Amino acid sequence: MFATMIRPLFKNKKFIAGACIFLFFLFLGLFGPMIYRVDPMEMTWDYEKPPSPAHPLGTDTYGRDILAQLLNGIRSSLYIGFLAALISLVIGTIVGSLSAVKRGVVDDLLMAITNIVLTTPSILIAILIASYFKVRSVEMIALILGFFQWPWFARAIRAQLMSVMSREYVQLSVLAGYSDLRLIVEDLIPTIATYAFMAFVLFINGGILGEAALSLIGLGPTKGISLGIMLQWAVLMEAVRRSLWWWFVPPGVAIVAITASLLIISTAMDEVFNPRLREE
Amino acid sequence: MASRSIVKYLARRFLFLLVTYIVATTIVFILPRAIPGNPLAQILSNLSRVAQAKPELIRAAERTLMEEFGLGKPWYVQYFEFVSKAFRGNLGTSITFYPRKVVDLVVPVIPWTLMLLLPATIVAWILGNSLGALAAYRRNTWVDKLVLNTSLVVSQIPYYWLGMLFIFFFGVRLGILPTQGAYPQGMIPNWSWTFVLSVLKHYVLPFSSIVVSALGGWAIGMRLMVIYELGSDYAMFAEYLGMKDKRVFNYVFRNSLLPQITGLALQLGGILGGSLITEIVFNYPGTGYLLFRALTTLDYPLIQGIFVILIASIYLANFLVDFVYAVIDPRVRIGQEE
Repeated sequence: MFATMIRPLFKNKKFIAGACIFLFFLFLGLFGPMIYRVDPMEMTWDYEKPPSPAHPLGTDTYGRDILAQLLNGIRSSLYIGFLAALISLVIGTIVGSLSAVKRGVVDDLLMAITNIVLTTPSILIAILIASYFKVRSVEMIALILGFFQWPWFARAIRAQLMSVMSREYVQLSVLAGYSDLRLIVEDLIPTIATYAFMAFVLFINGGILGEAALSLIGLGPTKGISLGIMLQWAVLMEAVRRSLWWWFVPPGVAIVAITASLLIISTAMDEVFNPRLREE
Repeated sequence: MASRSIVKYLARRFLFLLVTYIVATTIVFILPRAIPGNPLAQILSNLSRVAQAKPELIRAAERTLMEEFGLGKPWYVQYFEFVSKAFRGNLGTSITFYPRKVVDLVVPVIPWTLMLLLPATIVAWILGNSLGALAAYRRNTWVDKLVLNTSLVVSQIPYYWLGMLFIFFFGVRLGILPTQGAYPQGMIPNWSWTFVLSVLKHYVLPFSSIVVSALGGWAIGMRLMVIYELGSDYAMFAEYLGMKDKRVFNYVFRNSLLPQITGLALQLGGILGGSLITEIVFNYPGTGYLLFRALTTLDYPLIQGIFVILIASIYLANFLVDFVYAVIDPRVRIGQEE
């Protein structure tokens, strides 16, 4: 069954293009730091140098190698994105499916919370929380970001599962005395699998963009390097107004390439699995 | 009848916003107290450490901080004082800019943020939705592919990074537009032509970076919406009746626009977050820039004050959009009646 679902995806040009770009960056993040073994934090006297054979992407104000920063930055940004996405997906699935199964007071309460989180701008709350911590680990940033981007997903799967709940086979399971947990795991979750995967992809984007935004105002991880932290340094040191393009262009390109490729993947999946969107 | 259901609907929305606002202010209240290491105690100790510089000022700041955060009083007294003060617009005193009130610091910068955000949001919304509708109308032609593929990439460009690129190309390389601030340094805001003109010049880059990066998302959403609506029963029926394509499309367009209005409300918060950082990149004197300065000096009363005001304004904007929505779409009101 899985193969029949996957096969049409590989006939979609957009999906292949998106997947190739994403895999390329995943490869850079996973293996880049192992292949290009330069310490991204090591300061040298070669400061603010444009790209050269010694430093393929040049150096920053402290003489640190930009390519090394970029590779390590891609790694930690992807890690934050994945972690944040996992957290959002779990919360969203629990809230959405509980709402659909339990209905009544539980549903009302969960949806009220969902709507409150939905209307409150997540980046503001993330900024507020991050500002109170002096030391911030990469995982903490992922947690803060993941905690606030699940509401739209919870609402979407709640609506979808409500309609699934009225189907015969689910009714049969209810009559057979399935527990709510078993009902959710066996009958409901499989029906939203592709949708959840698409949401997961978008959550990764949210995590990567959120980290970049937090880091840029100085609220990112306090240790190590990420794409956002690279941009933060570039802004602090006025790289843009001083024409040090090799400093602020690469991290931005990496962010856009990763997030755009993921968005293209999810759009392509939508086209493949959604009969209305199929190209004639 | 219709007007009564609108009132009922809006009353419901308003109640929800009130609850949301209380929750938000509660979060603002709880956070500094709940986090291990107590940031408030840390500021106090930091203050006493630098007290040699201006002892009497620092001590006064310390006293107001103690008093405003109500430290020492039971937490529920602190809480009620905080929320009731927030509702009356009393957001305390800044530490960095002591003894200036938070409200007096925030209110003057709000117009700059609004001036940047509102027109940019509306222009991006109109342009994006038109492009998306055009793409759907010309489905599977080169126009559609161009709009969709460009939008997919452009929508993922962070506002502030696009701003950086714009500063670099138009400001630094071509040197045709100013790269920072809202007006030249040293100029005093007034209503003269030279001032207004220079404000407009400074406005171009931050404004266009927000518009361009927000546009793509609307285009993608609208395209999808129109395609869905074109496949719906009423559109098919109209087509089978032999109605002209343009006419069918007109109906479809109007119905597709409705969810985009809700989207506008939800996106306001996101756009605000993006523009906060855009302001930092451009050194634009709005709320984002003020927040940045408050964050770098850990001026918690100021940080909290900015949040309370920003969150309130987002909820208000949401409410206004809901109001517009209820007026345009009767289904919203009827849906609430069940």
